[in-house]
Amino acid sequence: MGQKEHLRNFGMLAILIIILCALPSNINLYLRSVIMFTMMYVVLSLSWNIISGYTGYVSFGHVMFYGIGAYATGILVVDYGWHWIPTLFVGVFVSFVVSLIIGFPVLRLKGPYFAIAMLGAAEGTRVVATVWEDLTHGGEGIGLPNVENSFETYFAMLVVMLATIVVSYWVGHSRFGIRLNAIREDEIAAESLGINTTFYKLFAFALSAIFPAAAGGIQAYKVLYIDPETEFFILVTIYMKLFAMFGGKGTVIGPILGTFILYIVQEITWVKFPTAHLIAFGVFIVLVARFMPRGLMGFAIDKGWARKGMVH
Amino acid sequence: MAEAEIALDIQNLKKYFGGIKAVDGCTFQVPKGQISGLIGPNGSGKTTTFNLLTGVLEADSGDVFYNGENIVGLRPYEIFNRGISRTFQITRIYREMTVFENMLSASSMKIPVREARERAEQLMEFVTLTKLRGEYGGNLSYGQQKLLEFARALMTDPDLILLDEPAAGVNRTLLNNLLEHIHHLQEDQGKTVLIVEHDMNVIMNHCEKVFVLDYGVKIAEGLPEDIQKNEDVIEAYFGHR
Repeated sequence: MGQKEHLRNFGMLAILIIILCALPSNINLYLRSVIMFTMMYVVLSLSWNIISGYTGYVSFGHVMFYGIGAYATGILVVDYGWHWIPTLFVGVFVSFVVSLIIGFPVLRLKGPYFAIAMLGAAEGTRVVATVWEDLTHGGEGIGLPNVENSFETYFAMLVVMLATIVVSYWVGHSRFGIRLNAIREDEIAAESLGINTTFYKLFAFALSAIFPAAAGGIQAYKVLYIDPETEFFILVTIYMKLFAMFGGKGTVIGPILGTFILYIVQEITWVKFPTAHLIAFGVFIVLVARFMPRGLMGFAIDKGWARKGMVH
Repeated sequence: MAEAEIALDIQNLKKYFGGIKAVDGCTFQVPKGQISGLIGPNGSGKTTTFNLLTGVLEADSGDVFYNGENIVGLRPYEIFNRGISRTFQITRIYREMTVFENMLSASSMKIPVREARERAEQLMEFVTLTKLRGEYGGNLSYGQQKLLEFARALMTDPDLILLDEPAAGVNRTLLNNLLEHIHHLQEDQGKTVLIVEHDMNVIMNHCEKVFVLDYGVKIAEGLPEDIQKNEDVIEAYFGHR
């Protein structure tokens, strides 16, 4: 890809940043929250995309890292009196370590076996969070200090989102990313052609684990109350997966676009049809899977609006 | 004739799959700087031997010496990084990556990206795939996929190249190009090439030495013209007279 294209892409990102920086003081609390949660799902779907889109290891348990981040913040703020910002780094670090410990055995599994193992890992973490009452307050959950924090959390999420976008962009335009793609396409060939697949998979997995932890921490501070059921809720994994797939997994722009469109559609339908919205959403997912299996970006490529591949 | 230097020294290599003795004590030496052929009837253990040499399968026993080092037990990428590259019998190109990305994926991370790109461009030019550089690997014809695999295997400038049935499914014009390129690698760059092939024209006209496998054992080796007349080889292919 030429420098011109990189410049254009970063120009677009700069415009997005300017808009997102100008917005919060001009909108109400509700909209501020909606945009913050939209940015959160951009973080989640882009992160999921690193291991599942680029590398082809479809994770059904990514909520695990988000939950770990949320609990790191909850515990440290409430029980240890920390300021909430440094707790995010702790959450990221714990997630990183956990991703290595879990990734090493689990990344030896492929396809549905990996997916199920990740689902199990996430459920296992939820059970730990429920049972280990001394640390996590168990099923009772943790209430965080009730303060007005909509600006702080908004901008913190914006920073984390930018970091995730920049890292995803690097992955999506580098030989590192191409090597992840090679693993997705044919692991035996990749290994035979010089790629240390164990190392690359673990690296990708760790990258995909750290950003959700930061997002989870910010979210915990924002919603003021966390418990195992909501912080390790499987629907969070399904959403990040869905948003990435709708936009086009294995691309940078896809998960961003997918999240902005679907999260906002989801929010509007939820307000208008509190019960029917999940059904409508479900039908929509089936239609996308049937007629646009490679998402919006795949559609754009088929139409000739976008180029094939990520490095040109 | 002086004995050629040895590129790959294979000693008593064994691989059993349950009761099937795919490779059963195979021993042979691949001469350095030459094109050699590995032939044998279907199921004689040629591809399994390739997979053992490249670390895709782990040998039950035996040794493979490359530049004095026993490479049995190394992982495939480690063997590749020591200068042994390969293609596959059934092509294993990356289907949802472009031709150019397929090429770049095999470049060494030790060389700068600019250099890797240049090398990819040169090799694509060489196998006449430049026009298709932005096309998905999966959209290429089978013959073009073979060429892509071949070019991809050369990205790191390996010293030893293992080609598993390079001629299968490739049309004559492309095949001649490919063979010309293989000769160029051997003659001008001193590379060692080992070819598994069913197309006897390729083996007889282009290999300096031929090894014959049957039931996982080497039953003959020698010059192509001698192999053609070898009684054991004829029996392995056609049965008892």
